[in-house]
Amino acid sequence: MKKFASIIACCFLWVSPSLAQTEVHGEYQTSLAVEFEGGDVQKFDHILKLEFSSDITDDVRLFGLGRVRYNMINRLDYGAPGDKAHRQRLDRQFLVGDSELELRELYIDGYAGDMFYRLGKQQIVWGQADGLRVLDVLNPFDFREFILPEFDDYRIPLWTTNIELPLADGTAQLVWIPDQTYDQTPVFGSGAAFEFSSPLFVPQVPSSSSVTIDRTSRPSRFFADSDVGVRYTTFKGGWDLSVNYLYHFQDTQILRRTVDDNGAVAITPEYERTHLIGGSFSNAFGAYTLRGEVGYSTNRYFITTDPSDSDGVVETPELSSVIGIDYQGIRDVFLSGQIFTNYITSFQEGITRPKNETKLTLLYEHKFMNDILTTKLQLIHSVNDSDGLIRAGLAYDFRSNVILKAGLDFFYGSKNGLFGQFQNNDRATIGIEIGF
Amino acid sequence: MFKRIFLSSLLIGSFSFTAISQTELTGRQIYEKVNARDDGEHVTRKFRLELTDRRGVTRTEETIGYRKYFGDEKRTVLFYTAPNNVRGTGFLTFDYADASVDDDQWLYLPALRKVRRISASDRGDNFLGTDFTYEEIKKEGKIEIEDYTYEVLGEEIIDGFPTIKVQSTPVNSEIEKELGVSKVVSYIDPNIWMARKSVHWDVNGNKLKTIVTPKIEQIDGIWSNRNTLITNHKTGHQTNMTFFDIDFESSVRDSIFSKQSLQRGVR
Repeated sequence: MKKFASIIACCFLWVSPSLAQTEVHGEYQTSLAVEFEGGDVQKFDHILKLEFSSDITDDVRLFGLGRVRYNMINRLDYGAPGDKAHRQRLDRQFLVGDSELELRELYIDGYAGDMFYRLGKQQIVWGQADGLRVLDVLNPFDFREFILPEFDDYRIPLWTTNIELPLADGTAQLVWIPDQTYDQTPVFGSGAAFEFSSPLFVPQVPSSSSVTIDRTSRPSRFFADSDVGVRYTTFKGGWDLSVNYLYHFQDTQILRRTVDDNGAVAITPEYERTHLIGGSFSNAFGAYTLRGEVGYSTNRYFITTDPSDSDGVVETPELSSVIGIDYQGIRDVFLSGQIFTNYITSFQEGITRPKNETKLTLLYEHKFMNDILTTKLQLIHSVNDSDGLIRAGLAYDFRSNVILKAGLDFFYGSKNGLFGQFQNNDRATIGIEIGF
Repeated sequence: MFKRIFLSSLLIGSFSFTAISQTELTGRQIYEKVNARDDGEHVTRKFRLELTDRRGVTRTEETIGYRKYFGDEKRTVLFYTAPNNVRGTGFLTFDYADASVDDDQWLYLPALRKVRRISASDRGDNFLGTDFTYEEIKKEGKIEIEDYTYEVLGEEIIDGFPTIKVQSTPVNSEIEKELGVSKVVSYIDPNIWMARKSVHWDVNGNKLKTIVTPKIEQIDGIWSNRNTLITNHKTGHQTNMTFFDIDFESSVRDSIFSKQSLQRGVR
């Protein structure tokens, strides 16, 4: 991985003296979140983002984005966030106090004839789904604040080679990711606000048993443990279509459980590979847009409560899909609904996830005053677990470069569910964003 | 000097009016000439949008746009370059010559890092907070000829230029609802076949907005709008759009009119 970063750094040094047109932009954000239960401050942070973009030649550009975050009050992660278990050491550095510096993006991109290339730390989004993911699995997520931050902010960019070239009536994309960085979840037992506790993700252990968590076995071989993917996109008869393939490590840790003769439990976090084959589509019909995607993963790993299972994890293929409809028939209003389904094709009794899992999402967005004021209401509901998340948000463009924000986040349902596990974390948020 | 220009305008105007009255063009024929006006095979230009609300607070946004004809099909792509909260936003449209075929539109929202297919039936919706509709952004002074019936109301001098006053009325209530107007009165300059001014009424018959184009110049031999000012009479909101760096000569890469290009950003 260091090799990849070094190559990019060398390119940067090589081109620096000849940087023709350079633009620098920045944004300062501050946000405060207060929990309803007890009125505790969940977070109060200050974030500074700086980005630069330099045209090296007419066709080649260098882009970089860095982020500094200072947590004045932080109930989101306590102590060491366990970076080694999830991501590259150079990704972020912890500074004085509760602050950190993170390199978000750094890449060179451009054209070589008809071929487009982007080399470096970047994000790639696949698929058509909003909020939850089927094909959008190239970049891992930072679950420090679950899925509540801006979409762009909880994705973790990766060192990637991304090549796109015209092919027949479409575009072929080749992706190579030699970056072994995975989903970042709050440390188990840390007491962080969004620490996962649901049996869907965490093996349940009798309270009388002693538990040890082994060191995470994270893949680290530059070539052998890299991810590779191919996507072909085309536009035919009004349809946007894509076919996708990705050979990758699942970004979610697999927590294998072993019990010794004395009843002591050891949890070993690991990562496993899978093939993902899928596709997506979208088209507009009058005021409606239909969109969807489907993905088949050959090797998925689910926690089981079956005591006879040797490691508490069952391997099975999984078929996932989403179908969504957007409606824009009312002026300044955007309405969207989605149905997500996950089907475990080789289900075994004891798996904590249902064989068929369905989640629904609804989004109502209304803009007022020539888009100065935006209100948003969002629901994500799990049909199986009857839990979910309701979000209400308001954004006011006070000036061209100043946005005031406020929001409410409610979790409901069973503590065993994906969303219900955070039922004590309902909160109100306010924030300011200033661009420069 | 001013008198000379004014007299020249009147003289040109009198010739034009004579020509018009001789040919006795109908409203539809006038708009066919507007639509047939040469606006270049392709163009690159930047424009600044100054959005002023009724309190006088102005937001300024900057964009770069490309347009190119692929046979009868017109493709347009816009990228926002400032300020921060909209930078990177991209809008792509395929405008088909066959009016019975819905146009195709995509919007790239950098916060989602995703190109979203959007409905083309929102033609009368305001375009990203401006007082332009999606239709006006896409058509650039031209219109979908089958959307309206036309009536020539007379001749009028606008800013010293002779114009033909044409009233356009949506052909049915469905189109009226889609476009958000019950009628439009335009003042077409017959020397360049561009509107110097237009007044729009909403579906309830209330005066909606006035569009004026005070600066039209020839660039690379093509008459080009350098400035458009829209006043929304209902909200008091104004949009002032100023074009600069208009270039009809430099080639425009075909691949820029693609979803991939929206994601890659302006290059």
